Amino acid sequence: MESLLKLSLSAHYANKPAVLREVTFEIGRGEILGLVGPSGCGKSTLSLAILRLLHLKRGAATGSIEFQGRDLMLLRESEMRALRGKEIGLVLQSPLASLNPALRIGTQLAEAWRAHVKSSREDCNEAIRQMLSTVSLPSDDEFLRRYPSQMSVGQAQRVLIGMAVLHRPALLLADEPTSALDPVTQSEILRLFANLSQRFNMSILYISHDLLSVAAISHRVAVLSAGQIVECAETAQVFRNPQHPYTRALVDSIPLQALNELAGNQHATARTAAAGSSK
Amino acid sequence: MIWMRNIAIGVLAMTFAACLLAGTIAPASYAMQFREEPDAAPSHQHWLGTDDLGRDRFSRLLQGTRISLLLAPAAAFLTSVLAGLIGGIAGYWGGWTERVLMAAADLVLSLPWLFLLLTARALMPLNVSPMNSVAITFLILGLLGWAAAARVVCAGARSLRASDFSLQARAMGCGEARLLFRHVAPNLQPMLLTQFWISIPVFILAEANLGILGLGVVEPLPSWGSLLKELSGLTAISGQPWVFVPLLLLIAVVTSFQVLLVDQELPS
Repeated sequence: MESLLKLSLSAHYANKPAVLREVTFEIGRGEILGLVGPSGCGKSTLSLAILRLLHLKRGAATGSIEFQGRDLMLLRESEMRALRGKEIGLVLQSPLASLNPALRIGTQLAEAWRAHVKSSREDCNEAIRQMLSTVSLPSDDEFLRRYPSQMSVGQAQRVLIGMAVLHRPALLLADEPTSALDPVTQSEILRLFANLSQRFNMSILYISHDLLSVAAISHRVAVLSAGQIVECAETAQVFRNPQHPYTRALVDSIPLQALNELAGNQHATARTAAAGSSK
Repeated sequence: MIWMRNIAIGVLAMTFAACLLAGTIAPASYAMQFREEPDAAPSHQHWLGTDDLGRDRFSRLLQGTRISLLLAPAAAFLTSVLAGLIGGIAGYWGGWTERVLMAAADLVLSLPWLFLLLTARALMPLNVSPMNSVAITFLILGLLGWAAAARVVCAGARSLRASDFSLQARAMGCGEARLLFRHVAPNLQPMLLTQFWISIPVFILAEANLGILGLGVVEPLPSWGSLLKELSGLTAISGQPWVFVPLLLLIAVVTSFQVLLVDQELPS
C-alpha cells in the first residue's frame, strides 16, 4: 500500500513533561488506522500536532510529518493553511461545540468551501448539497437555515464530518468522533466513515479510547500509552494476540461475547479457560 | 414583569415619536422669544410656560429630547464599535497586543469619568456653533466610553479564540482575519448590543451633567442638560413645578431603558 503519512513526532506543553515521545507510525493511502489509548495519553495532541495547530493549546511539537512526500514541519504557515481542510480534514469530539453557535449551517458550510475554492454561489451551493446527501442529511433550504442548537447531536456530527470531507481530503483525522453519541448513532457514524474512506479512497486516523468502535472500522490498530506507540498491528492480530500489557488490559476489558464476535481468537479462548478454572 | 416592560416600551415609543415629530407638534421654534411673557406659567399657548428669555418650554423640551435621544444612541454606537474593535482585537490576538490595549483601557477606567469629560471638553474650543457643540459633546462621550465595554469584549473574544469551533475553523483552512470577522465577531454581537443599550442612559446622564456645568450643547439649542441647568437655582423655581418636567422625563426614559435591559437579561 502506498504510504500517505509517515511521522515521527514528540510533543510537549509549556512547562510540562513530554506528552508524545517519538511517536512513529505510517498510514497507507485509503487505510483506516485506529489509534487507541487511555484519556490523557496524547491522542488529541497528536491530531493537532499533525495539523500544526498545537501552539493554540500552548504546545509544541518536534520531529517530522511526511505527508504525500512533503515534511509538514518544514512548510510555511500559509502553505499549511492551504493544506488544512483541503488535504487533511479534522473531526472533533464534541459536534455541537465544534460548530459555530452564531452561524447558520449553510453559512458554516459555505465558509468551509470558500476557504479553498473561489467559485460562484451556485457552485458552492451545489457542492454543499452533494456533500450533505453523501453524509445522509437533508439539503433543503430549511435545513441549511438552521443553527447548530436546532439540530440533534448526531446531525451535528454528520454536518461536521461533511464539512471535513467537503474538499475530499486525502487524510481525515477523526478525534473521538463517536464518544458523544448514543450507540445507534455511533454505529451509523462508523459506517459513514467506512463508506467515505472507500468512496473517496480517503485515509482515516481514527482516534478513540473505545476499542470496539476502533475494531469495527480499522484495518490496523496502534496503541498509544504514556506518550508512546506500544503496539501497532493488523486489527485481528491485536485482538487475537495482544503483546503489550496495556493492550492486553484493553482487550480484557471487552465483554467475552463481543470479543469472540470480533476475532474468534485465542485470547478469548484463553480468557474463557481462565474464567472456567477460577470457578 | 410584563406590565412594567409594556409601560417602558410605551414611554420610550411615545418619547421617540414626540421627538421625531418635534417640528410638527411644537407650537413654536425652540429659539423664538415671546418677550412680553418671560417666565410665564403654563397656559393654552405655552403648555409648560416660558423660560426667563420668554421661550416656549414645551417646544424646547421636544427639541432637547430630540437632540439627547437621537445623539445618545449615536454616541453609544460609536462606543460599541470602538469597544468591539479594541476589545475584539486585544482578546483575539492576546499577548502584547492585549496587554497594551487593556493597559490603555485600564488607564481610561482609572481616571474619574466626570473630570475626564470636563478636561476633554475644556480642551475643545468653547465658542463653537450650537450644532458643532452637539457634535463635539457626543463625540467626546462616544470616544471616552469604550474602556469598560472593551474589557468585557476582550474577555469574550479570548474565550471564543480558544473555543472548539475556532479550532475547527482553523482546521478547515480559515485565515486569522476571516476567523476574527466571520466566526468570532458574530458571537460578540449580543455582548456589544448589551453594551450599546447600557451606554444610552449613561450618555444621556453624562450630557445632562455637562449641560448643567455649561459645557454641553450651546445655547440657544436645547438639550436635556441645558434644560436641567435651570434647576440649579432652586429658590428661583420654587412655586414653578412645571420646570421639573424635563427632569421627570429624563428619569422616565432612563428607568424605561433599565427596565427593558433587566427584562432582557432575566431568564424567560
